[in-house]
Amino acid sequence: MMQRKWKIAALLAVTLLTGSVYASAEEYSLDYDFLSWLFDFQRTKGVKPVTDKQYLEECGACHFAYQPGLLPAKSWEALLNDEALRKHFGVNAELDNDTLKDIRDYAIKNSAGNSWYKQSRKIAAATEQGPAPLRITELRYISRKHHDIPEKMIKGNKDVKSLSFCDKCHTQAGKGVYDPDTVNIPHYPNWDGWFNK
Amino acid sequence: MKCRNKFGNVVAGVCLAVFSGMVHADNAAGNNELPTAASFYTNNYQLLKSQSVNSAPFLLAANEGNAVQGQADLTPAAPAAEFSPPWLTGRKAHQYLGLGTVLFAGLTAMAAPGEACEHNCPAQPAPRETSGTTHTRLARTTAALAIATVITGLLYHWDDFHLEDGFSDPDNQHVMLAGTGALMMLYAINKSAKSSVPTSHAGIAELGAVSMLVAIKLTW
Repeated sequence: MMQRKWKIAALLAVTLLTGSVYASAEEYSLDYDFLSWLFDFQRTKGVKPVTDKQYLEECGACHFAYQPGLLPAKSWEALLNDEALRKHFGVNAELDNDTLKDIRDYAIKNSAGNSWYKQSRKIAAATEQGPAPLRITELRYISRKHHDIPEKMIKGNKDVKSLSFCDKCHTQAGKGVYDPDTVNIPHYPNWDGWFNK
Repeated sequence: MKCRNKFGNVVAGVCLAVFSGMVHADNAAGNNELPTAASFYTNNYQLLKSQSVNSAPFLLAANEGNAVQGQADLTPAAPAAEFSPPWLTGRKAHQYLGLGTVLFAGLTAMAAPGEACEHNCPAQPAPRETSGTTHTRLARTTAALAIATVITGLLYHWDDFHLEDGFSDPDNQHVMLAGTGALMMLYAINKSAKSSVPTSHAGIAELGAVSMLVAIKLTW
């Protein structure tokens, strides 16, 4: 009898747990189907890799094609418009209207708040309030993850130079994987100690 | 009792071997010139910051513009090697241990002895076995795995959870659910092991396992 009671309690708890996850899904107002995520066993720990060819070509022509899931929608809205692109971090990066619309739509659709990927969810939660961050390196989550890396490994490293060049150290950045286990800082193979990686 | 002592000794031995291996690897890994992430954890971070080994040039701070201008030549001339992620790291060990815990919890549930006798029962029921059966062995293995998972999680993901990020943060949810799940399983095992009469513990143990499973899914 007691065992049956516990089983009922367990069932109720599972329902509650599922409900809380579903509630957070609604909170994020995601397009992605909750059930698809629940039964999808593919790893979604990092950010969603870029799949749009146009985005890859246009953005990737000048710099690493940062995944849209690295910034919230409000940031992409502020970054991807005619005026902002004329002064895109000191460079004129204007695009024709059709291309800009496609890229902007793709970025917003896959932005941090619209993704089930874990790092995107963290970024979305951290940027929910306050002004739109315009630099990925300004995000609290990103700066916190890098705060204990000695400066000479990045700025003083001629093969890295800046945190902006994600793919210099994150060997699987193109796939949206930013796991510390996949980090290889040029010239510092033991940057984190073998067993600490 | 003898069996339990043996099991305890084996677990203690494995834990000691793992920890001494980790310390050895940490000491051998590297670059003595630089503090490792482990040293930030095992020592007081602020204290380390104030020491000469970790003086200003070693700290990245907040991407300020020209803190290390002219220091590019500090980079040692080491050839770039083809990188392949190591097959075993502390974080991967945590992952495998967590999955192993859930797997063993499932096996434990499957190996559970049946319900108590309801019809044609013997006058004198057999004494309850709290060790030496497949179920109890699996349960204790699950407990050891759960403890190891929590320890490795604290060691290698200590910088992933922050209270200020709130309840909706997936890493915070992971810590809360997985920690609670592990405690529930340990409680259930302890409750059952100490009882000489049949006791209800399956529900809480299963709930703990489900809690760990949800925690894994949230950060998978």
